[in-house]
Amino acid sequence: MVLVVMLWLSVPDFEHSVTTTDKCEMSSSAASSPVIALHGIRKSYDRLEVLKGVDLTACEGDVVSLIGSSGSGKSTLLRCINMLEISQSGEIEFCGDVVRWTGEGADRLPADRQQVIDMRTQLSMVFQQFNLWTHMTVLKNVIEAPVTVLGQPRDEAVADALAILKKVGIADKAESYPAQLSGGQQQRAAIARALAMKPRALLFDEPTSALDPELEQEVIRVIRELAAEGRTMVLVTHDMNLARDVSTHVMFLNEGVVEEEGSPEDVFGKPKSDRLRQFLHATSQTPH
Amino acid sequence: MFSGCEDPSRLDGGAWLLCYLTTPTHQSFYLAFGTVLLLLAITAPLSLLFGFGGALASRSVIAPLRWLGRGYIAMVRGVPEIVFFMFGPIALDQAFEYLRHRVMCPDWSEPVRRGNDFVVCTAAKLPLNADPQWMHEIYGFALAILSFAIVYGAFCGNTIRGAFDAVPQAQIETARAYGMNRRQLFWRILLPQMWIFALPGLSNIWMILTKATPLLFLLGVEDIVYWARELGSAKTRAYSFPHPNWQLWYFLALLVFYLGLTRVSEIVLARLNRRLNHGQATLAGSGRMAAGR
Ligand SMILES: Nc1ncnc2c1ncn2[C@@H]1O[C@H](COP(=O)(O)OP(=O)(O)OP(=O)(O)O)[C@@H](O)[C@H]1O
Ligand SMILES: [Mg+2]
Repeated sequence: MVLVVMLWLSVPDFEHSVTTTDKCEMSSSAASSPVIALHGIRKSYDRLEVLKGVDLTACEGDVVSLIGSSGSGKSTLLRCINMLEISQSGEIEFCGDVVRWTGEGADRLPADRQQVIDMRTQLSMVFQQFNLWTHMTVLKNVIEAPVTVLGQPRDEAVADALAILKKVGIADKAESYPAQLSGGQQQRAAIARALAMKPRALLFDEPTSALDPELEQEVIRVIRELAAEGRTMVLVTHDMNLARDVSTHVMFLNEGVVEEEGSPEDVFGKPKSDRLRQFLHATSQTPH
Repeated sequence: MFSGCEDPSRLDGGAWLLCYLTTPTHQSFYLAFGTVLLLLAITAPLSLLFGFGGALASRSVIAPLRWLGRGYIAMVRGVPEIVFFMFGPIALDQAFEYLRHRVMCPDWSEPVRRGNDFVVCTAAKLPLNADPQWMHEIYGFALAILSFAIVYGAFCGNTIRGAFDAVPQAQIETARAYGMNRRQLFWRILLPQMWIFALPGLSNIWMILTKATPLLFLLGVEDIVYWARELGSAKTRAYSFPHPNWQLWYFLALLVFYLGLTRVSEIVLARLNRRLNHGQATLAGSGRMAAGR
């Protein structure tokens, strides 16, 4: 108990030391804090070190794509951002707010449960396997978190939800259950659910990998639209065309470190490392 | 019941039967069907509640509570029902009386257990000696219900615990990713999804429970089996309605009653199952179960 209080008291100075590190350029040339900033994130499962100190910055309107071979730690990194996985060291900053921790290393936990919840409500995640709640209709899936977590009035949430469903092109499926939809429709419903939270940023974990090439296109169209609207997104993907087209910044993850990063033109046009060249070569052989 | 039934020896055929079937003892028999239904109506939700409590306790993060929940489920499940039904009411009765004894007669100096006897002060007796007969019957019935609920609650508890564990981790994780706290996650996601997995197990327990009601007889409640045996046995001329051994017919009536109860239960449970599985990615939800595709 005493320890918790001491840690809590020690937080303010600590916060200052971190927030000064990076700033985002605004159009007015004034600087602001990034929406998402990670500093030196490390994560191990038992003795397997999956992330070995990763930095990531996503400013307002950025689309950051994470590419890399299977098992390189892309999903793990994404899940560390909204703390579905707890990283063992490194700092996570969200809209200028630095996550507070208690404990060290493997025992590290967020100190303030409410801070985590507040962060998650502004950071919507879209999963590879859609993960729609199976016992609810599409409409109920979309209004669930806004009503239950944000306390939005129900009829207002329903009106919003119907508008979003129309936007992603499945307004006619509002009363269907997830199991009654195609994969592409399910993923668009999941994107609608994410948008209904009016989040500051979206996290996508291979949103098209579980889909057939035809169904993939309907989801990709929605993602392109969101990128064009200037939404802040972190996108894990195996689809290099998508990454090239929508990203403002591409990060190539290899064995838990960022091997190379930069603008999509640089990363795809003139890759510097051998690993990235190999990777791009291998992926260009695949059907997509 | 009817005028003209005063002297049954002068009646014959339908009139005799009508008078016979409406004697006060037969009315007790009919009432006993009500007792069985009442027992089911109270025991089922109570067992569910016990099971729910047991399941939640056994999954608790608080260790002593977890041990209590697991201990309850394991112990009651491991002991033959019949032993528990004989032991339960006696133990419960003595426990209640002992607690009352401690509160009401603090000055009592003699030990409560004397050899084989269990003696509490008169004021602590349950029900009081002075209470009317129906109080005694209600008390006995209440102990019976409690014993039933404890036993079937343990089975429900195990089923519900398993059902909680069967809810896919991804569903829970998604709820957390959308900012739900533990309470919201439990009520909005975990609980509604749990029922789908729990229902088959719970329907089995319900079926076993309906067929266990004759055990009421063991607990000193005069249930339908007791009455069927009493009324059906051969009656000599000393009785107003003498007849040979008709137990076969009485037990046949019980058979029909229990089969009817089973049929109604099946219909209701099937409907419930359809509703829970509506739109789910289960065989039942796809409506293909009957076709076996
Ligand atoms: N819960 C876990 N327990 C143990 N090891 C895990 C766990 N989750 C992931 N890993 C390991 O961490 C490593 C990185 O996994 P991760 O899922 O982040 O990879 P990825 O880059 O997303 O791969 P993919 O492209 O196949 O999705 C893998 O070696 C995996 O085996
Ligand atoms: Mg992955």
